Order: sequence, then structure tokens, then C-alpha cells
Amino acid sequence: MFNEYIGISPKSDLTLLQMLGERLHKKSFLHINSTREGGGVAEILQRLIPVLEELGIQARWEVIEGDAQFFDITKKMHNALQGNPEDITPEMWEYHREVNRKNAEKINLDADAILVHDPQPSALIEFKKTGSWIWRCHIDVSNPVKEVCDYLTRYCEKYDAAIFSVAKFARALPIDEFIVSPSIDPISEKNRDLSEEEIRKTVQKFGISIDRPMILQVSRFDRFKDPIGVMKAYRIVKKYNDCILVLAGSPAADDPEGETVLNEVREYAANDPDIHILLLPPFSDKDINALQRSATVVMQKSLKEGFGLTVSEAMWKGKPVIGGNVGGIPLQIMHGVTGFLVHSVEGAAFRIRQIMNNPEMAKRMGQQGKEYVRKNFLITRQIKEYLLIWFALENSGKTVFEL
Amino acid sequence: MAEIIEPFEFRQCSSLLKATGKRAKNIGELKHLISTVSEDSIFHHTYQYFLKGHILEYTSDFSQWAGEGLEESALSEHLANIDPYDFTNINDLRNELVRVIDEYIRMFPEPREAIQGNEFYFHETITMIFPLGIRARNLAEFLTAMRFINTESIYYHFYEARIRLGGGVDDFSRWIEDVFGKKELAERIRAIDPFMHSLEDIQKHIIEEVEQEVKRDMEVIDRCLTSI
Repeated sequence: MFNEYIGISPKSDLTLLQMLGERLHKKSFLHINSTREGGGVAEILQRLIPVLEELGIQARWEVIEGDAQFFDITKKMHNALQGNPEDITPEMWEYHREVNRKNAEKINLDADAILVHDPQPSALIEFKKTGSWIWRCHIDVSNPVKEVCDYLTRYCEKYDAAIFSVAKFARALPIDEFIVSPSIDPISEKNRDLSEEEIRKTVQKFGISIDRPMILQVSRFDRFKDPIGVMKAYRIVKKYNDCILVLAGSPAADDPEGETVLNEVREYAANDPDIHILLLPPFSDKDINALQRSATVVMQKSLKEGFGLTVSEAMWKGKPVIGGNVGGIPLQIMHGVTGFLVHSVEGAAFRIRQIMNNPEMAKRMGQQGKEYVRKNFLITRQIKEYLLIWFALENSGKTVFEL
Repeated sequence: MAEIIEPFEFRQCSSLLKATGKRAKNIGELKHLISTVSEDSIFHHTYQYFLKGHILEYTSDFSQWAGEGLEESALSEHLANIDPYDFTNINDLRNELVRVIDEYIRMFPEPREAIQGNEFYFHETITMIFPLGIRARNLAEFLTAMRFINTESIYYHFYEARIRLGGGVDDFSRWIEDVFGKKELAERIRAIDPFMHSLEDIQKHIIEEVEQEVKRDMEVIDRCLTSI
């Protein structure tokens, strides 16, 4: 699998991965999360483990087990960390710890480095045996519910280090805190190269004709993704440039407002034949890939965002991206270089027109965006940074290493 | 006996961001934290600024934040005018940053607050320096290598070298002067202003300079042959 990244990922990342692999040869690296399938963490681990093994590291992936009550509690924790008011009682915390204790009895926790993903297995630290323990937080914790965050901090402080996705998510903690951006996998179904035929078939399947420029937003039907704002921007653009709009997203099953937002979107579209609202089932990776490759301009006009990896996905396909200046989006879009950051519907409309009327600029932005993603947001960079953190913890106190 | 040429070993650095948990919401807090954060943090926000894809009107994270986070354009310009390579140690650079901010606060005492989420976050880095596995033994090999090394390698040999070697000297020009005695070419490379170009542009300029030199060297041979 490592070889599949040759020619795609930066050569220097692959060289450094191999060098770190030599230094960490035959050492054990255990990853623990709460699900084998579904979600970004499981997707990354499915790739990461075989790559680590090929580098000579004894990589292992364990998944904690829990019942519906446990996952109901951890869902509340997740929501609270993202800022939604949730009440987590002392009994719930105790149950969370108890399920972690039972898992600690079943899982072999012996390893040189243990990377624990997200809050579900965070209490395993109480049952630490050996090795360097690192907690990886994949959640946007910029405005958490204080009580829940404080309680989890008690576990977090017992780790040797913590990893956050964005600097503003990091807390003032007495342990080392690293910033590691999320990443996309260039060889996955969602991002691999597609043939013209594959793209054409997908677009045809949805009844979309791409004889005119296409504006695309791929996201859940959620108010924070501002699908209505995207439609308003499209309507402004339409006065000047003939184009079509595609809003593609999965139904947000865990969001009670999902259905309401979708209805609002449909109502606002008012049967405009040039607006395509696509409800994609989970695992529609190839369809999303083809849609992104068919677009003229890709939007991520979020009003609130975690990291917003759909931005990097579109940039990887050589598309100029217009994004809201929130969450992790400004880390991905270099304003005026790889796309545009906008603050309003009018701003979005203006930038769409600018891109549609300057195909050369759009092409240049797309190329620069792809190179920016190659350098900063591919999975190989993320794996490299995990190994660097482990290596740095083993050589604690040093800030510069010469290999 | 053949002359032993010291090859140019291309290296690069890779940095890992470490959060300090410290953040500033306004100029006063920025000044206070610049006075107290670690030398590693000052180093990261000034010298390592050039390692990032950056906007050329700024020369440090501090000047960029003053300009974009706080929209204090004048302060941003003052801070951008500080050349970190003028200082032989981090604390002198730190003092200059504090002096410039102090002066600005005296003129404009009403601090402007950054909007939530746009605060200045102080970081440190763990830096890994490693060989790329590419060596050049002559200018032609050097030119070929320069075409496909990445910008992190340019940063290491062109910017980071200035801290190691001092005196505005970079690894490329030093090797060219020491090994081949090409003082003029070395001077032309040293004349590339590190503040006025992106890493990609610097790479391009060095390639152009070396390419011209290699062509000139070849032409000398041509002229010798035609004069026979």
C-alpha cells in the first residue's frame, strides 16, 4: 500500500516516513477507537495500519465495545464538546468509566505507543500499563460545554500528549499538545482519479447536463452549511451567467433538524430545473468524486465548520473553492491563490462570477489548490506527524532532531 | 590524483506544530505574551514564517495577524519591517518586537479586540532535519537537483542557513564559492532578497542564475574548440 502513494504524495514525506520507520522498527503502535467502520477516524485507520506495518512498525488497531447506553452517553459527550447543551450525570460518567474498565481487561494495552481516538475510549488511560499514551481529539472543541470539557480534561491530563486538529481547539493543558490537521486519502474511492467515462456515467445517472458551468456544494443539509445562502448566491449569478447548481448531501440521520432544513431547501429551490438537490446515501464516495470533478466551482459556504475536509477534496480535484471564513476552511483556502474566502451571499456570488468569467484564473487556482493539498492535507502527512510525535515523546526535551 | 569535490548534500526540515495554550485577543496581550513566551515560540512565528505558504507583504505571523486579524495596518507595516536576520539572538528580536508594539500603543492606546476565533495562538515546533538522499558533485548535477527538490529544502538551505552561518550567507552560495571559487555567482544568489520572494520564486531565481553560469561554462569550451 505504501507504494501506491509514490508519485502522489510528496517524496520528502515518504522519505521521512521510511526514516522514522527505521528508527521505530519492530516497536509497537496501538490505535484504539470505538468503531471499525463508518466515520472519518475508521477510514483513516483502515489505511494507516497497513502503511505502518509496511514501514516495519508493529501496528495494531483495537475497537472498544459498548452497549446502546454507553454510545448514547458518548454521543452526548460528543455533542457537548461541540457546544450543544447536554446534561451528563455522575452516573453516566461512572458508566462510561466502567465500560472502559471492562474493555481494558479485554484489550491488550501493552504497546510502545498508544493512540486513543476521541472521547469514547478516553478513560482507558486509567488502566495504562506501559508506553507513551496520546489522546487524539478529532472533534471541534472550540466552544465546548464547560462541565463536560472539564471532566474529560481530568482524563486528558493523564496522557503524555494530546493532539488537536486546529490550534484554536487546543486547551491550556499541562501536557504536550500537538496540532495535526485532518487529511484526505488520494487513493480512496472518493479521491482517486476517474476516467471521463466514469464521470459522465455518474452525472448522467443524476440527470445532470453539464453543458453549462456547474456550481457544486457537497454537504449535509444543515443550517450551518448554509444551503439557502448558496442558492441565493446562485440566483444572483444567474442574472449574469447561465449556470446550474448542484447541492449534494447525505440526509443527516442524527440531526432532528435535517428534514426541516431539506424541506426549506426544496421550497426555496421552487422547482427551478437548474437546481439539482441530490440526497446521496452513505458510501456514495464515487458519485461525490465524479460530481466534484464535473464542477466549475465548488462551494463550502459554511457559517460554522469543524475542519471542512470537503474543501481539500475539491482542491485535490483541481477545482477553485469558495468557502466561508470559518473553522478549518481558512487553513485550506489561501484567499486569492487557491480560491476565495467569503463572508456573505453577495461575496460568494461575486467570487463565483469572477471564477466563471476567468477560466484561466480558475485553472491556475485549481492547480495551486491541488499542490497545496498535496503538501499539507494528504494522509501520508498525517501518518508522518503521528510518527514524529511518537519519536519526539521518546526523545522528550529536544525540539530539533537531525536524522 | 583526481581532486576530491565536497558534494552538496540536499537536506530539508519538517516541522510539527505544538500548541502552547497561550493566545492574545488584542495588542496589549500580544505584547505581554511576546515578552514571556519561549524562545522556540518567537523563533517559530518569525524565522519559520517563511516555511509556510505566506503573503509577501508580511514577514512574520505577528505582522500578518496585526494586519488581518486586527486590521491595524500601520502596526502591521512596522512589524513587517523587522528583519529577524538582523539579530544574533532571539531575545534581541523579542525586545525589538516589544519596542515596536509599545511605541504603537503609545500613539494609539485604544486596543482593538480580535473577533472570537481570530485570536493569535502562540505555537512552538518540533523540527526534524533529514537528508533527501540527493547529492550534487558539480553545477550541472546541482542544477538538475534544484529543479525537483521541494520548497522545504529551499527553506532549510536558503533561510535556515542564514541563522547557522550568519552574515546573510546561505548554503547554496557558500558551497558554490567554497568548492568552485565562483564568487560572482555566489554573490548573485546572495543578492536574492529573502523577504521579497516566495520559496518557489527563490528556487526559480537560483535555477536561472545557475543555468546561465552552466551555459556560460559550456560556451567557453565551445569557443576553445572553435579556436583550434
